[in-house]
Amino acid sequence: MKQKLKIVDLFMVALYGVKARRGRATLTSIGIGIGIAAIVAVTGISASGRADLLATLESLGTNLIKASPQAGFFGTQEKLPDGVLGMVERIGPVQEVTSTTQTDLLVRRTDFISEFEGGGISTVVTSPELLDVVGGNLSEGRFIKSGLGDIPVTVLGSVTASRLGITSLAQPTRILIENEWFGVIGILDELKIHPDLDRSVFIGYGVAKTLFNIDEEPTTIYVRSNPTYIEDVVEVLAPSMNPENPDQVSVSRPSDALEAQEAAEVAFTNLLLGLGSVALLVGGVAIANVMIMSVLERRMEIGVRRSIGATRKEIRYQFLLESILLSGVGGLVGVLLGAGITLGYTKYTNIVFSIPLLQVLGAILLALLIGALSGVYPAIKASKIQPAEAVRK
Amino acid sequence: MKSKTKTVISLNNISKVYKGPPPVKAVDKISLDIKEGDLVSIVGQSGSGKSTLLNMIGLLDSTTEGDIEIEGQDISTLSDDELSKFRGEKIGFIFQSFFLLPGLTAQENVAEGLLYQGIKREERLKRAAKVLEEVGLVERLGHLPKELSGGEQQRVAIARALVQNPAFVLADEPTGNLDKKSGDNILKILKDLNKQGKTVIMITHNLDHAKKFKKVVKLVDGKIVA
Repeated sequence: MKQKLKIVDLFMVALYGVKARRGRATLTSIGIGIGIAAIVAVTGISASGRADLLATLESLGTNLIKASPQAGFFGTQEKLPDGVLGMVERIGPVQEVTSTTQTDLLVRRTDFISEFEGGGISTVVTSPELLDVVGGNLSEGRFIKSGLGDIPVTVLGSVTASRLGITSLAQPTRILIENEWFGVIGILDELKIHPDLDRSVFIGYGVAKTLFNIDEEPTTIYVRSNPTYIEDVVEVLAPSMNPENPDQVSVSRPSDALEAQEAAEVAFTNLLLGLGSVALLVGGVAIANVMIMSVLERRMEIGVRRSIGATRKEIRYQFLLESILLSGVGGLVGVLLGAGITLGYTKYTNIVFSIPLLQVLGAILLALLIGALSGVYPAIKASKIQPAEAVRK
Repeated sequence: MKSKTKTVISLNNISKVYKGPPPVKAVDKISLDIKEGDLVSIVGQSGSGKSTLLNMIGLLDSTTEGDIEIEGQDISTLSDDELSKFRGEKIGFIFQSFFLLPGLTAQENVAEGLLYQGIKREERLKRAAKVLEEVGLVERLGHLPKELSGGEQQRVAIARALVQNPAFVLADEPTGNLDKKSGDNILKILKDLNKQGKTVIMITHNLDHAKKFKKVVKLVDGKIVA
């Protein structure tokens, strides 16, 4: 038999059921709201984090390779063979190459500070290309370009600058390296994938030789490769640098570290998603519970509706839709709440805001589905009530 | 002038047994013919089977034994959905406790009577207003049930039963919850409906009311005694 109750009327009837018990409806949908908010916030924050990571990787490039000698058996730093830069440059897809030399020169803010209080800042001797190859930016001043490498000037990594308390170069600023004064000509932005360089001060090879007698013996090589062949370059880099003992060269991609960190966060995200799902489940049970109560309380309404011509199916649909509405309202509020949390978080941590639309739609659908599932049993129960029983005095 | 001799409801040896335990025979082999335009009152003590009988006539309840024919249709052949539609189109119910939906206005409550007929909302509301006018509640269209007196609520319930223009009006102690004046008013409305040609069957405890009906059916222990 054809159903005569129009969809829009069915909707109104179900809405009436929700509206007539506003307080209860609100409380009932809270569980779903919390679950959906958790899921949306977690996916939103994780998506924002990923979007931010991608943006970072995009700006840094994933085609950077870093190579340094393996630490020796007794923890001593091995040296790379002579002429290693030339060998690396001859690898076909290599686009840029530069090197740095790690030293143990002591860095101090002034000579009032004891020589025994270095503070974990290392001095790195560098050539002018370093900044371009690692994709760094200056927050202030300039880098040690050619010509500046021979004079006592230095550039600070971001962490170094804040540790030394140097926030501005408006005034001429000097720091002490070993016992020589160096003028600070630049401060770097955070490098993100090079935390070691953030904690360094940079000086040129010329001045390192004249003041500290340090030779140009690279301890780290930075290579930019054609992105297509990056895996191949990684493979041949060690044998090219040290053909006799390739296992003495350690090769890494700094971007891997970020991705690994992200992967670790995924596990955490999954845990939170799990918790969100539990909230949804509990919310679903709460809805089923309240709907069953509602059916029992509204026998009279069911009886009247049956007496004015409602079929079992129409009663069933009414209660099913009511349950879906309850859950849907919770879901909608949850989505808004979750989006708000994500927005707040991204503003607070200053990362890109991103909420995947598909997941938002998925969350709403999930809420509707839970509402439907929770409503099935109460709806069937409602439709099975005999009209005569429902109108009994 | 319409012929008033046509039998529209025919009960043939119907019984209703509630399984229990112990089983209770609420209606015991009742046979009764109700003619078109009849004005019938059913009287009897509590537990005599009045409501069960009325519910079976109104297709709200099934019989354990026996057949019911309404307008020549053997209702045992109808499916549950068909019974629902039959109730919706042919039978108007009036209950002792009114059974209005508390969140809807008088007009909306009456319009609910047409909800399952596939009629648009505006049309439903229009017809509801018209019927409410007929029962003297034209000034109460926008009032919620709690803002109405008992008698007014029962008139809204009557309007809801009438809005679909049913051939039969079944009332289960419609004056039971009302004071005398309101009760008399409801009774008058039911008698007027009967004058308009509707078949009216009413359960009542009030013998004064019952006497005003053309036909009185008295039940004792599920059987007709008068």
